[in-house]
Amino acid sequence: MVVIGGALVVGATVAVLGACVLLVLLVVAVRARRQLRQRRDEMLLSPLRPPLITVAAGEDDDGTAVHTLRRAAGDSRTVLDRNIVGLLTKIRGVPAEQLVGVLEKHGAVHAAARELTSRSTVRRARAAQVLGLARAGDTVPLLVRALDDEAVEVRNSAAYALGLIGDAAAAGPVLSAIGHPERGLPAATAAETLQSMGVGISEVLRAGLHDAHPRTRMVAAHLSGERSFTRGLPDLRHLLDHDADVTVRETCAAAIGRLGRAEDVEVLARHTGQDEPLSLRRACTTALGELGDPAAVPALAGLLVDPDPRLAELAATALLGLGPRGREALVAHADDPAVRSARLMASLQRASA
Amino acid sequence: MSWEGFVSGLRSAVVWVMDAASVPVLVYFVLINTSLLVLVVLAYLEFRAQERRRATALSWQGAGLAPGVSLLVPAYNEEAGIVTAVKSFLTLRYPRHEVVVIDDGSTDQTFARLEEAFDLVPLPRELPQEIPVRARVLGVFVPRDGRTRLLVVRKENSGKTEALNLGVNAANEPLVAMLDGDSILEPDGLLHVTRPFADDPTRMVATGGAIRPVNGSRVVSGRIVRVDMPQTWLPRIQLVEYLRAFLLGRTGWSRLGGLILISGAFGLFRRDVVVEVGGLEPGTIGEDFELVMRIHKRLRDEGRDYRIEFVPEPVSWTEVPVTAKVLRNQRRRWHRGLWETLWAYRSMLFRPRYGRIGWLALPYYWLFELAAPLLELFGIVIVPLALLLGVVNVSFAVLFLVLAYGYAVLVTLSAMVVDEWAFHKHDRWRAISQTIVASVLENIGYRQATAWWRLEGWWASLRGRRHVWGVMTRTGFDEDPA
Amino acid sequence: MSALAGDPDASPVRVLVADDDADIRDLVEFKLTQAGYAVEAVADGIGAWEAFAANPPQLAVLDVMMPGLSGIDVLRKIRESEFASVPVLLLSAKSRDSDVDTGFEVGADDYVIKPFSPRELLHRVNGMLARAR
Repeated sequence: MVVIGGALVVGATVAVLGACVLLVLLVVAVRARRQLRQRRDEMLLSPLRPPLITVAAGEDDDGTAVHTLRRAAGDSRTVLDRNIVGLLTKIRGVPAEQLVGVLEKHGAVHAAARELTSRSTVRRARAAQVLGLARAGDTVPLLVRALDDEAVEVRNSAAYALGLIGDAAAAGPVLSAIGHPERGLPAATAAETLQSMGVGISEVLRAGLHDAHPRTRMVAAHLSGERSFTRGLPDLRHLLDHDADVTVRETCAAAIGRLGRAEDVEVLARHTGQDEPLSLRRACTTALGELGDPAAVPALAGLLVDPDPRLAELAATALLGLGPRGREALVAHADDPAVRSARLMASLQRASA
Repeated sequence: MSWEGFVSGLRSAVVWVMDAASVPVLVYFVLINTSLLVLVVLAYLEFRAQERRRATALSWQGAGLAPGVSLLVPAYNEEAGIVTAVKSFLTLRYPRHEVVVIDDGSTDQTFARLEEAFDLVPLPRELPQEIPVRARVLGVFVPRDGRTRLLVVRKENSGKTEALNLGVNAANEPLVAMLDGDSILEPDGLLHVTRPFADDPTRMVATGGAIRPVNGSRVVSGRIVRVDMPQTWLPRIQLVEYLRAFLLGRTGWSRLGGLILISGAFGLFRRDVVVEVGGLEPGTIGEDFELVMRIHKRLRDEGRDYRIEFVPEPVSWTEVPVTAKVLRNQRRRWHRGLWETLWAYRSMLFRPRYGRIGWLALPYYWLFELAAPLLELFGIVIVPLALLLGVVNVSFAVLFLVLAYGYAVLVTLSAMVVDEWAFHKHDRWRAISQTIVASVLENIGYRQATAWWRLEGWWASLRGRRHVWGVMTRTGFDEDPA
Repeated sequence: MSALAGDPDASPVRVLVADDDADIRDLVEFKLTQAGYAVEAVADGIGAWEAFAANPPQLAVLDVMMPGLSGIDVLRKIRESEFASVPVLLLSAKSRDSDVDTGFEVGADDYVIKPFSPRELLHRVNGMLARAR
C-alpha cells in the first residue's frame, strides 16, 4: 500500500490553494490599480483640460488658457505634461509651439535631458521622445549617445527624436548604429529617421554602402534610391555585383532602377542571367523596366522565353513601358501567356485610370 | 472465475502498476506544471519588455522598409463569408499587400460571389511552378479595375495544402501569410507581424502572431468592433486554453529561441524560404508545424544565421468549436499532426547542431505535449481504481488531485495575471470572473475528454487510418456579410 | 471665423467627427464649434456609422486608425449608402503614400496627416463645404 503522510498532503494543498487565491487577488489588484490610476489622472487633469484643448485648437486668442497651463504645479503638472507630450505628436503649428513653451516653462525639457541617464528604461525612452517633440536641438549629442543604449526602446526613441530635430550631423551615427553588435538600431527606425533629415546626408549614405554590416548596407542602398543619391551609383553597382547578401543585392537593384541611366542597363541585365538567384533576377528585371532606357530591350526580350513564367511576365511588363522598340520586341511572342497577361494587365489599368 | 478472484487479480495488477509508477507519475505532473510555470515566468519577462515597448511606443506606419505581403486564402465552399473576408483583408492598414484566393474546386457559389463582388476577368497568366503542385489550375482572375490587389486562382480540388502551395507560387510579394477563409485580422495586424522583418530584414525568416477566439465578440464587415466573452462554457474554456498554451507557451519559447509551432491561423513566412524548403508537405495534418520544423532543420543544416519570432499582439481571431463533436475532431487532428511531425523530425533530437530546438524544445514537446494525454488518463483511471481497491490511501489520492489539477489551475491563473497586465482586452469584471471559473471547470471533464480525443488521434495515426476532415459549420456571425 | 456665409437664421451646419483619441476628438470638436458648426463627436468607427445613418451630417471628419471599423471602412459604407455625396475628410497619423492613395480611391475628399494644424483643418472643412453647396 502506498502511504503518503498527512502532513505532506496538507502542506501541498495549502501551498497550491493559497497560491491560487493569491493569484486571483493579483488579477483583481492589477486591474483595479489600472482603473484607479486612470481615474486619478483624469481627476487631476480635469480643471486643466479646457485650457489645454483651447490652446491645442489654436483658439487661445487672449492668452489666458496658456497662462493657466503655465501656472500648473505639482501632480497636475506631471499629468498635464504627459498629455502635452501626447498631443505634440498629433498637432503642429502655432498651438504646438505654444505647448512646447509650456513644457519649457515647467522645466520638463530640462528634466528630460537629465532623465536620459535615468535607471528606468521607460523614463529614458520617454525623455528622448520629449526632447524630440520639443525640438531641443542642443541635446543632439546626448541623443546620439542614447543610440547605443542597452534597451531597444530607448534606441528607437533616440532615433525618433533625432529624426524630428532633423540635424543632419546625427545621420552618420544613426546609420552606423544599425550594425552595432548586440545593440543594433532596428533598420526600420533608422530608415524612417534618415528619411526625415535634410539633404546633406549623401556622404553618410556612401559610407553606409561600405559598412561591414549587411543590414546597414541594405538601409543605405534603400535610402539611396528613395533620396535620389545618384553619386552613389558606382557603389550600388559594385554591391550588386559583389555583395554576399542577396537581400542587399536586391535592394541595390531596385535603387539602380530608380536612379540609373543608360549605362546602368548593362549591370542590371547581367544579373538577370540564369545562374543568379531567382529573386535577384526578378528584382533586376523589374529594375530594368523602371530604368526606362530602350537599351534594355535586347536583354528583356531574351527573358521572354525564360522557363520561369513570372520572370517572363515581368520582362513583358517592362518592355511595354519602353516605347516602340519595346513593343516591337513583344510581337514575336504575342501569343505567349506572359505577354498576353502583361498586355491585359496594362490595358485594364489604362482603362480605369 | 469468482468475483473475489477477479478483484484480487485486479488488485495485484494495480499494486504492481502503482509500485512502479506512482512516484514517477506524480513527479511527471509536477514537472509538466513546473515547466509551464517556467514558461510563464519567461513570458512575464517578455511581457515586461512588451509593456515597456508599449509605454514608449512610437507609431510605426510601415515606411519604406515594410516588406510586401501576400495573404493566401485557400477556400473550399466558403460562399457564406468569402467576400466579406476578402474585402476586410484588402482594407487592412498596410502599405503594400495583396490577397490571393485559391478556390480549391468549390462546388458552391464561392467563385461566383467573388466574381460578382470584384468584377473579375480572366488573366491568361501562367503560374510559376516553384513548388510542384499536382492539381490542374483552372484559371487565374483579377478585378477589372486593374488596381485592386486581388488574385483569384481556381484549381481542381486536391486539399488545402496544395491550395496553399499554389498560392505561394502565385504570390507576388516577398512575404506570405497563410490564412483561413474565416480569419479575422486586426486592421493593424500586418504592421505588428511584419515589424520584425522590417527591423532585421536580412535574417528574419518567419514570424507568428497570436490568435484569439472570436466567439462572443461583435463583428461588423469583417472587423471586431467589440471584444466580449463567448456565451457558452465550451468556447470559454478554449479561450483559457488559448491564453495559456498559445500565447504564453510561444512567447516563452520565442525568448528561448526554440519556437517550433506557429499557429495554424496566422503565420508569416519569407516566400523564398518556403519555396526553398519545398512548400507545405501534402498528406501531413499539422502542416504549419511541419513547415516550421523543416525550415529550422534546413537552415541549421546549412549553418545559416536566421531568426523566427513570435509577436504576442493578438493579430488574428478565429472561431473555435462550439460543439463537442467539432472540438473532438479538431483535437484528434492536432494531436495526430503533432505525432507525425515529431516522429518525422526525430533525427533532430539532442543533436548539438540543432541547438535549443534539439535539446530543449523538441524533448519538451515529446514529453509534455505528445505523451501528456497518456499520463493524464493513466492518472484518471489508475488512481481511482487504486483508491477503490485500497492500494493507496486517501491522502495519496488527494495529493495527486492537488498536484495534477490544482497546480494546473495555478499555472493558468498565472497566465491570466500576465495577460491582464499586458492586454486587458476584456473590459468587464464579469469577463475576468468567467475566465477564472472557466480555468477551474477546464479540469473537470474538459481536460480528460480532450486527453482521450488526443489519444484517439494518435492511435488512428499509428493504425495508418486516413484522416477525415470534418466540416466546420460556419455559424456566420458577421452582422453584415457582403 | 464663422462658417456661415449669408443667412444667419439658417440652422448650423452639422459635422460628424470620429476619432478614438479623446484629445483630438475634443479639440477638433472645439475648433469647429467655435467656428459655428454643430458638431457630433463619436469615439469609434461603428459609432460613427450608426450616427451617420441615424442623422446624416453635411460633412464628416474621420480618423483612419480607429479600433474595429476604421475611418476607411466607414467611408466605404458612406459611399455605398444613399448619402454617398457627403464630403468626407480623413485624418491620419503620418503614413505612407499608399494609405493616402487608398483613402482617395475609396472616395475621400481630403486627407490630412498628423501632426496637423487645427487652423488648416478648419480652412479645409470650410472649403469643402463651400464647394459642396
